[in-house]
Amino acid sequence: MSQEIRVSNPRALEHPIIWIGVIGGTLGSIVLLDRIAWLALPLILAVVFYYLVHPFLIRLQHWGIAPQHALTIFLVLASLLCVVASLTVLPAMLNSVSQFQTNLPETMQRLSQIASEFLKNIEARFPLAKKAGLAEGLQARIDFFAQGKGTQFAGDAALFAFKWLPSLLLVPFLTFFFLRDGTAFHQLILRAVPNAFFEKTLLLFDRMDRQMHGYFKGMFWLTVLDTITLGLGLWILGLGQGIFSFQNAMLLGLVCAVFAWVPYVGTAVGGLIAICVCALHSPHNPQLLFSVVLLFCGVRLLDEFLYTPATVGRALHMHPLVTVMMIFAGGMLGGVYGLLLAMPLLGIFTVLGQMFGEIWFDPRLRARHTARNLLEKRLASNDLDL
Amino acid sequence: MGTAWGDSCRVSFWSFLRPPPLDPKLKVVGSTAIFQDCNRQELETLKLYLHERHYLAGEIVFDEGEDGEGVYIVVSGKFQATRKGMLKKKNLGEILPGECFGEIALLKSTPRLATVVAEEPSVAFAMFRSELERLADARPRLGFKVAVQVARLMSSRLHRFLEGHTDSSILS
Repeated sequence: MSQEIRVSNPRALEHPIIWIGVIGGTLGSIVLLDRIAWLALPLILAVVFYYLVHPFLIRLQHWGIAPQHALTIFLVLASLLCVVASLTVLPAMLNSVSQFQTNLPETMQRLSQIASEFLKNIEARFPLAKKAGLAEGLQARIDFFAQGKGTQFAGDAALFAFKWLPSLLLVPFLTFFFLRDGTAFHQLILRAVPNAFFEKTLLLFDRMDRQMHGYFKGMFWLTVLDTITLGLGLWILGLGQGIFSFQNAMLLGLVCAVFAWVPYVGTAVGGLIAICVCALHSPHNPQLLFSVVLLFCGVRLLDEFLYTPATVGRALHMHPLVTVMMIFAGGMLGGVYGLLLAMPLLGIFTVLGQMFGEIWFDPRLRARHTARNLLEKRLASNDLDL
Repeated sequence: MGTAWGDSCRVSFWSFLRPPPLDPKLKVVGSTAIFQDCNRQELETLKLYLHERHYLAGEIVFDEGEDGEGVYIVVSGKFQATRKGMLKKKNLGEILPGECFGEIALLKSTPRLATVVAEEPSVAFAMFRSELERLADARPRLGFKVAVQVARLMSSRLHRFLEGHTDSSILS
């Protein structure tokens, strides 16, 4: 009996066609999403919100509330939250953004000065760096960014917000329909799957659904944990210097935690931002900068060994080299989109590839599908003299 | 005349309040062993978790030994279950509307114990383990009802099987 058990093919992913398909599919999707970014962004955000809100609706249903009523309760609560946020948080945020825009040229100039001093110090200590023209080269790049991109950013920020506002207004609309008709849509897609592949495809949908649910939920909690750790750390480090208020430290923590969504590269960028902020406020305090670096290294270790295994997990089982290569390739093809979406898309395509391999390389399932087609043909031509 | 008109008005008024008739396919689902305890509202909820599949005469639903993922409820037509024997296929019997097959897979991913083939053009509803788990998450009462009925059905089948085997080694 045991010899007759046909297990699914766990080595399906090792087939080169599948591997090429997984990588090609991931990169192709990044390019496509970048091209239709105006529609893709609200769609992706709606999917993220769907996975974050769905457990809440399930909890309400668990308490005996009908699905439609659970959705109504959620809509009322979300609307109330939006009204409260727009009355309290939004004005403060807009004020901060406008202040930031006004101060940006000055900030960039100060940052450039600090960098220049720092590089000159390095050259004074290490003659080899002077020979290589380290200060000159880096200074030219920093000046280029400060004068070019930095000021350009200030002017474009308002335009950027206006460009994306209509697109972002689609998010609650799409999320509502995903939540209301998600199950019916799921059934509609599965109806198109041939009988022979039906069970396996359903298994694929279930795995993908669980993976995406786990990923988004995990990322949410990882961001919360990173924000709290970094925010508290920065607040404590800046206590003696009077750099951060508690709110500002938490905001900077949140920004760095969002950057940390991009594996490996994101933490470094987040750390650089925090160092720049500290350098601006306390330029002659290398101990503080060193402490910030240590804080980010510590949070990275916490992420690696404690937070990530406890939240997102290590479901992808990707080699770090493949991960970094995919992130950079994603960044090259799709900019910020590519950086952020490379890993989730790679995860989805890995599961798709694995399941496709299991279905496609199963000769029995293909034979059953062919048999069904033959039966259908025979039935259609039953009364014809062929 | 006036009375007749009044009667017809009363009838139409009550018929307006009465809920629309239950989908005949759901009626068949409600008559199966694992869903027989479900009321109308629960059957309507279950509809969201069921997948309607159409099979041609001679088409295989699943093979013996294949990983099982869910149960099938026969709505119309006829299915035949067979099992590999020492010399030839062993016929386990016909499965008719209102009956279900593959229910073990609703509780655990196990290899299918038989091959099931549609004997005539047939329709079946499929419900999968992952969906039962989701149902139990959202509607624990309904999920529990279904799980208990599956356990009862399996216990009665085990009982029938044991009646035919007096050898005590089966239980050890």
